[in-house]
Amino acid sequence: MKTAAILAFAGALAALFVLGVGTGWAGHRPNNEVLVGGAISQTGQYAEPAGRQVYSIKLWVDEVNARGGLLGHTIVLRLLDDKSDIQTSIKLYEKLITEDKVDLLLAPYSSGITEAVANVNERYKMPFLAYGASSTPIWEKGRRYIFNIVAVAEDYQKGAVHLARQIGVKKAAIIGQDSLFPRQAGKGAKDWCKKLGIDVVLEENYPTKQTDFTALLQKIKAADAEAVFSNSYFADSAAQLRQMRELNLNFKLYSSTIGPSLPNFPEQLGATAEYVLGFSQWEPLPKVLGHPGMQEYIERYEKRFGEKPNYHAGGAYGALQVTEAALKKVGSFDNEKLRDALATTEVQTIYGRYKVDARGMNSHEGLTFQVLRGQRRVVWPEKWAETKAELPTPEWSKR
Amino acid sequence: MERSDVRSLYLLAAFLVCAYAMPFLVGAWAGTVRLDERWLGNLATVVVGGVMQGGVYAMFALGLTLIFGVMRIINAAHGEMVMMGAYLTWVAFFYLGVDPLLSIVLTLPIAFVFGVVVQKLLLDAAVGAPELTGLLITFGLGLAMIYTAELIFTTDFRTIPYAPGTVQLTSAIAVGQNRVISFVLAVAISTAVYLFLKLSRLGKAVRATALNAEVAMVCGIDVRRIYLITTGLAAALAVAGGALVSIQFGFNPETGVLYTLQAFAIIVLGGRGHYVGALIGGLMLAVLENLVSLMVPNGTAMVELAAYGLMISVLLIRPGGLMGVKEG
Repeated sequence: MKTAAILAFAGALAALFVLGVGTGWAGHRPNNEVLVGGAISQTGQYAEPAGRQVYSIKLWVDEVNARGGLLGHTIVLRLLDDKSDIQTSIKLYEKLITEDKVDLLLAPYSSGITEAVANVNERYKMPFLAYGASSTPIWEKGRRYIFNIVAVAEDYQKGAVHLARQIGVKKAAIIGQDSLFPRQAGKGAKDWCKKLGIDVVLEENYPTKQTDFTALLQKIKAADAEAVFSNSYFADSAAQLRQMRELNLNFKLYSSTIGPSLPNFPEQLGATAEYVLGFSQWEPLPKVLGHPGMQEYIERYEKRFGEKPNYHAGGAYGALQVTEAALKKVGSFDNEKLRDALATTEVQTIYGRYKVDARGMNSHEGLTFQVLRGQRRVVWPEKWAETKAELPTPEWSKR
Repeated sequence: MERSDVRSLYLLAAFLVCAYAMPFLVGAWAGTVRLDERWLGNLATVVVGGVMQGGVYAMFALGLTLIFGVMRIINAAHGEMVMMGAYLTWVAFFYLGVDPLLSIVLTLPIAFVFGVVVQKLLLDAAVGAPELTGLLITFGLGLAMIYTAELIFTTDFRTIPYAPGTVQLTSAIAVGQNRVISFVLAVAISTAVYLFLKLSRLGKAVRATALNAEVAMVCGIDVRRIYLITTGLAAALAVAGGALVSIQFGFNPETGVLYTLQAFAIIVLGGRGHYVGALIGGLMLAVLENLVSLMVPNGTAMVELAAYGLMISVLLIRPGGLMGVKEG
């Protein structure tokens, strides 16, 4: 009796499973709608950068609907909140694919979450273009249904290391938060240092919650490092800079991966943020970068959200442009064909050119900026430089 | 004092000596300890920095320990109250142009009233109930505060560029202006509250209630009023801590959780409900963290290990915490 019940239950589950997987065409929805869905961090530690991507997603959805929809279907957006939590995100993607039966998947934010979700969509053979993940290992596991558009973590410090070499730095320290993305960025920074002949005299990670860097900074100074490559977010890079100033520790160059690229970094830190190098995937500078459609996108974004888009926003919008172009090429919501189109198509977006290699990785080129008089100014690579980098950084006492 | 108590004190002292010697030993073994002038200067800077940080840590913990001591409620929303303080100070600075130190005069009364309201509406129901009740109620309050703050301020990080310069104590020891200011303020406020509890009539009533609410009631103390004052005071302490956060660190609505954890670790270490224990616990944690970070190779990655290792070991030797008494 008991076995029969269990068998029946298993059968019901299997049936649900089969029904769940067999989606792919938008025709099954009323009112000629197409369901576009994803889970992205709207609360939790990633809420700030991911929030900018949500802005771009909403903007794109409304624009497409105003243009008559995606392949003639009105987009219904189902954007869930993963609370910046990997486990939650996995559950939500399972739900989106099997219960909600979305026709098109959107990507989550952060390398850690994307890496986990990549196993889910791979299983259900639903492709997406990841605009929130920059860790190479995601694309080195033979996955077929995930594509990359942004520059990889290993290149975040590329420009800063080049600039350090230009000013004759010989010894550098690489520090960073103890998590996937900063560790990848640190690995890349180390490789670039090795390539350019800079000696890495100290390499250290710190816990996510660290607020006091007194000891670490003393250690860096004691190791005679001239430059600090910090793979950090807002709170940690802000604390490091402040404490450098407090302890009167002078370095020729300080560069941080994420912190300085957040919109209010210079304003919130004031003079302490000056001369800091940061990395940006993209900046809202149509005259400098010259990608088609940039100007219009920036204007529409600013009008709606009251601020200029940052690179997180730009990357998400670019990815959606690529997805739209690939869908048009396919002419239907067939996930297998969409996957092939994403793998082969070449598109110019507001974010730059998209064309992936066999792993599914785009070779996007980022840029390095310096905070100068409260403004972020592109200083590397030279073809996009707005101004010459002002390095070495003046001593704290002379500012 | 019983004999076993005395023995555990000796054991504790021996353990603490070992714990603080550990980073030096590891450092000596790894070759990071160099007994030259420059290194000693670094060591001194790091210890001074740790003391400064510890003062601020202790500020977080005092309010938490106060509520726990008097009402046996673990206030899971404590960190959110710290965060509220940080935002109040930030708003006063960026929108009204008020100096962050001056703004404490404005924010403390607001915090006190907030605490009183929380006590009246929420915590009164949890006094005397099983400990989980208070924890759940305050956890809910904390979530509500986080999401309210996100609605108003978004999740963007904020900080106040205040007193960013350096104070050169000697040629080798430097410390940040804002850290000195924070430390002095933390010491001043904690001392004031301590004196209030020790000397004033009302403070004595708070302590009496903490010892035994029923006996206090029999002695004619209005226990409900004492509860209101306690929570008000705890909220004010949290908000003052938040002001110090805002001039030292970056914060967003979600960083409060961090401070709750930090404060909780400190009061468990120092002795739950013990005021001076929180101060000592805060200093001990911060100094140990800095020593480990300075001397152990890749030590900054291990500060949490060291901090919680210290906490657990102390609890093994003295289950009531450093200054705690045996719970009967």
